[in-house]
Amino acid sequence: MNVRSRLVAISGAVLLAFGAQAAAADVDYQRLLKADKEPDNWMTYHGSYNSWHYSALKDINTTNVKQLKVAWSHVASRSTRGLQSYPLAVDGVLYYSGSYNQVWALDGATGEVRWQYKQKLNDDLVAKQTHSPYNRGIAIGYGNVYMGTLDGKLVAIDMSTGKLKWETKLVNSEKLTVGFTGAPLLVKDKVIIGAQGGEWPDRGPIFGVDARTGKQVWRFYTVGGEEGNGDARNTWGGDSWKTGGGGGWMPGGYDAETNSVWWGTANPAPLYDWSGPDYKTSGARPGDNLYTTSVILLDPDTGKLKGYHQELPHDAWDFDSATGEFIILKRGGKKYVVHPSKSGFVWVYDDQGKVQNVWRLVQNINFVKDITPKGELVGRRDMTAGKHTNLCPFIAGGMSWNMGSYNPQTGLMYKVGNEWCMDLEIEKTTPVLEPMAQLNIGANFNITHPQGGKAHGHVSGRDPITGAKKWEVKFDEPPLASLLSTGGNLLFVPDARGWLRAYDARDGKELWKHNNGQGHNGGIISYRAGGKQYVAVMTGWGGLAGDDYGTFFGGTFAQMPKDSGVIKVFALP
Amino acid sequence: MAAVISAVHGQEPSKPGPMQSQGFDVNKLFAGSCGWCHSKGGREAGKGPMLMGTELTDAQIISRIRTGKPGQMPAFQFTDEQLRAIVDYIRALKPA
Repeated sequence: MNVRSRLVAISGAVLLAFGAQAAAADVDYQRLLKADKEPDNWMTYHGSYNSWHYSALKDINTTNVKQLKVAWSHVASRSTRGLQSYPLAVDGVLYYSGSYNQVWALDGATGEVRWQYKQKLNDDLVAKQTHSPYNRGIAIGYGNVYMGTLDGKLVAIDMSTGKLKWETKLVNSEKLTVGFTGAPLLVKDKVIIGAQGGEWPDRGPIFGVDARTGKQVWRFYTVGGEEGNGDARNTWGGDSWKTGGGGGWMPGGYDAETNSVWWGTANPAPLYDWSGPDYKTSGARPGDNLYTTSVILLDPDTGKLKGYHQELPHDAWDFDSATGEFIILKRGGKKYVVHPSKSGFVWVYDDQGKVQNVWRLVQNINFVKDITPKGELVGRRDMTAGKHTNLCPFIAGGMSWNMGSYNPQTGLMYKVGNEWCMDLEIEKTTPVLEPMAQLNIGANFNITHPQGGKAHGHVSGRDPITGAKKWEVKFDEPPLASLLSTGGNLLFVPDARGWLRAYDARDGKELWKHNNGQGHNGGIISYRAGGKQYVAVMTGWGGLAGDDYGTFFGGTFAQMPKDSGVIKVFALP
Repeated sequence: MAAVISAVHGQEPSKPGPMQSQGFDVNKLFAGSCGWCHSKGGREAGKGPMLMGTELTDAQIISRIRTGKPGQMPAFQFTDEQLRAIVDYIRALKPA
């Protein structure tokens, strides 16, 4: 893959059309390290490197949330596939990305637009992509807004002016079709971003780029690793590593005490194998297929692999480890890293990546009989070519890529679980020999209700280490947006139908709701601007996981637009 | 249908050549690229519409596969032969 950096001269004109904020210290690594000391701001995708998706703000709390109303909103143009991103709030300004790699900066108190950034894209390339044209989010630091683009670049945008500072081509998207949809993560002086890949026959790279110059510093191939650093091509039979899929399409977490970046990797290709139980020696990709569907620990300075755990060896079900936050918390003097995965299981690690526990968040799971607390798969359901019924969960996962939340006051982790299954017919596909512009799925399938029940979703408050359930609320359709819990003891849940609800985080009692008029597929944060607390949520439906809702669940989903995006911001009167 | 791997020769720099698609067994091609959205092999609506019994003409089907539909379906670069086979596959669909 060609890598070209281009430094673009910073424009002389500074476009602060609506009045300047008092100059604030740059967002840099030190500020990000102490992000939880700045609850007024939400400076990184997960809120902080601990990835709690928690706001300590408590002006809005259980006693007054019933008064919450819309303070302002902004309509995001060209919102094909809705609004799937996480906004960031820094020193009174709200920043967010939308489809076709647009970025906006808004006054956090009034919603007035400060600037809009538009990326020049090749429409023909975008037309060929499946996981497109949405963007999941940005990183901020050193005066820049960083974003991965659909055509495989990392761009740095001046956060004051909205002008492009530099762009670095990392992935040959024109050849491979895939690019970036996930948010980058800024750690020290590196911007780290992972490419898509699981459905496409390439090797799923993760990159580390110099945050100031834009120069690519390192790369780690999730399929097979790197020569001399975790080289694991021998876990792929024949040449299947060359087109193994993989990727790392969501931003990971960072543990400063061990200087380790935690990242989840995506599934191998083809998604569905025909090997049956002999997956180590036969089928489309014989072997464990490292480092797909794994949790990897990387050195942020060098990209070197420091450790890993493969959550699903030879993943035959498309249950990425790329989804799921890395919640870092301490209990009883010990540090844990909690990772919910698409499979429906939650892994609990120590800070070296050793499995401490595994617990299940959803009921309808039969791709394995169980996974032991040590992480061993029991009773794998490895399929052969032909028809299979009632595989659970459905390909969209027992959990999807929408984030959960950890609340240090309640000690609970909150997460959406999906109860649904599928029937499928696996084809013995011909090996894909070269990366090329086509999908590599391997089966025809359809979504089904779980046997003896109806497909549905739930949000539960759980002990993050043991999985013990404190409370649960059911939803007729799984919500596909992220959660936010706060110091005001609130849990905000944006659902698929369009309702944003606030619950008492301690016991799940519903305290407030508002219909935003369209489903939610993105992020939610809280911040202060002008001394007032706001809750900002993305509205706009159209993500791939929800594509079946119109035909499967019907109702409002049959009429719901998939090209509409509005960020809505709430406050007390 | 015998599996034949179609070789990719001399791609023009400005226009990528035909895709090597599952040795041109149309069932494998469909499972590789289409079945993800067109459920039950195209017999059921899912992420995408049901293909069985479609009222679209052959030309409309081919155009849709070639150009896609923004935000709903990607554009695929199949050869004329592959497109013809997909149309025949769709026309032959019966309930499972």
